Amino acid sequence: MDHPTVIPLYGFLAGDCLGLVILVPADAKVGAIATTLIEAAITRVAPLARPAVFHAGKRLDLELAIAASGIAPLDRIDVREAP
Amino acid sequence: MLAGMIGAVRPRAGWQDLARKLDWTPSYVSPHALFPEPISGTPWLPQEDWADWDEPYKTTFAEYVATQAVKEGAVLALRDALGRVEDFAKLDKGWRSAIKLHAATLPLAEFAAVVGNLRAGRFGRDGAWRTMATFGALDELRHTQIPLAIMAELVRWDPQFDWTHRFFHTNDWVAIAGRHLLDELLLASNPIELAIATNFVFETGFTNLQFIGLAARAHSVGDRMFEKTLQSIQTDEARHAQIGRPVLEKVIRHDPAYAQYLIDKWFWRCWMFFAIVTGIAMDYLTPVADRTLSFKEFVDEWVIDQFVRSLADVGLAKPWYWDQFLAALGSYHHMVYASAYTHRATVWFDMPLPGPADRAWLADKYPATWPAIDPIWSRVTARWGEVEPDVEWYTHGVTPVGFCALCQIVLCNGTPTANTARAIEVDGRKVMVCSEPCEWIFKKEPARYAGHKDIVHRILAGEAPGNLIALVQQYFGLTPTDWGKDLEGGRYPWITRP
Repeated sequence: MDHPTVIPLYGFLAGDCLGLVILVPADAKVGAIATTLIEAAITRVAPLARPAVFHAGKRLDLELAIAASGIAPLDRIDVREAP
Repeated sequence: MLAGMIGAVRPRAGWQDLARKLDWTPSYVSPHALFPEPISGTPWLPQEDWADWDEPYKTTFAEYVATQAVKEGAVLALRDALGRVEDFAKLDKGWRSAIKLHAATLPLAEFAAVVGNLRAGRFGRDGAWRTMATFGALDELRHTQIPLAIMAELVRWDPQFDWTHRFFHTNDWVAIAGRHLLDELLLASNPIELAIATNFVFETGFTNLQFIGLAARAHSVGDRMFEKTLQSIQTDEARHAQIGRPVLEKVIRHDPAYAQYLIDKWFWRCWMFFAIVTGIAMDYLTPVADRTLSFKEFVDEWVIDQFVRSLADVGLAKPWYWDQFLAALGSYHHMVYASAYTHRATVWFDMPLPGPADRAWLADKYPATWPAIDPIWSRVTARWGEVEPDVEWYTHGVTPVGFCALCQIVLCNGTPTANTARAIEVDGRKVMVCSEPCEWIFKKEPARYAGHKDIVHRILAGEAPGNLIALVQQYFGLTPTDWGKDLEGGRYPWITRP
């Protein structure tokens, strides 16, 4: 069985003290990045109520497919509370 | 017979200058062949331009040996009196972790300094400089041997002390970061860069944090062995550190931009090393009741005031990123400690969870930056309250962390609201750096750094396991016996459990 391709990203969660490396399925939506990063940092940062994902200075729609978002492997992604 | 020989020795003043500054005009080889620029360093100046190189404090080999023998005797006597297992067992557990941190990161770094000094002892461009560097090599050999001798006794009692010798031979992430800094600083540097980076920036600029600040801490926690060891080493450092300024002044005269570049580069790299090794020891591993000045206050007094004055004395400017450095002074080691505590199984010493008294002290000492850090500790403390003691993994990260492609340290620069890491592309390869100064250093000499893979790239290349437990055990070389844990296993009276 083929494993889904994953994309490694550098994730920075607001309120956390370091950048983490997360792996997200290439066919997932942008919202999966927020979910994965929040879970990875759960020891240090309480889950955000309304997470927003930012890439290259732009806020991304959580329903957007990662493949269509312009995100490339090893990019920096920020997850913050939605304004 | 011996008395007669001693009586025949001419007064010191009659021969010392000739002995310490033994230079001549080579006739069989060219000066460039004798001192090749790639090994001796840039700027390559004619011999006569170095002729006025002068160290302020002069010594002879006989004086050196006599003085060192007395110092060695004192340290060994102290070890016999205060270096037993039962003496270390009396010390605070947190402070013992500070010793383990220093014991691992310093001795083999000092050994690398032996190599750097021996290179300067051969390829330094002036005879007196070469003499001082030779003494420096002997000093650094001593600084390698002292902690190894003291800590060897403790290995049978606590296997984490084995990392005194093992550390730099592993691929632990801290060791990779340490090697990346120290190999360049001490093994790869030519004598000019070594003198400016090590003698001027590292030793003159930063080591007072250790020799005065940390020695004072050792005194306050009752660790006379560590205190006196630091003081003994300090006397050596003060002598050979004086190599730095006359070399720097010579480079400034001929190539001031290069001198400023070396200062800017090495101040940033050294700052990050001391922020971790000294900053964490002072503000977290020292029992709160024994803390006086904060790490930031020590840096204000012993680094900023004095170093800026030293730069002004020679006509150099503060590093271009000075405002970023001042900002990092209030945040960086706090960010690293919180990261390390929640990945403590990746290091070789145990860590305390900051309690209410610690956090109140930190809030008082870091009023501008602590409010952004403190919620992390509230969260970790709350998680400890949800599980029984010793359930380490509930307050431990399980995801691989990102590392800076330049300093190889976790991506901790900036603040919890504005981490300063940025992705950059070098020769078609995307890498992450933790800060603007690290990016600047990387891009100034990409050929020097681009070939080195950080841990993330090693994992992605299949050279290291991606699973954290496998990474820690198979790649970092830690075992459940010696990897870091919470100092009390989460048993703190101020943690409430249902």
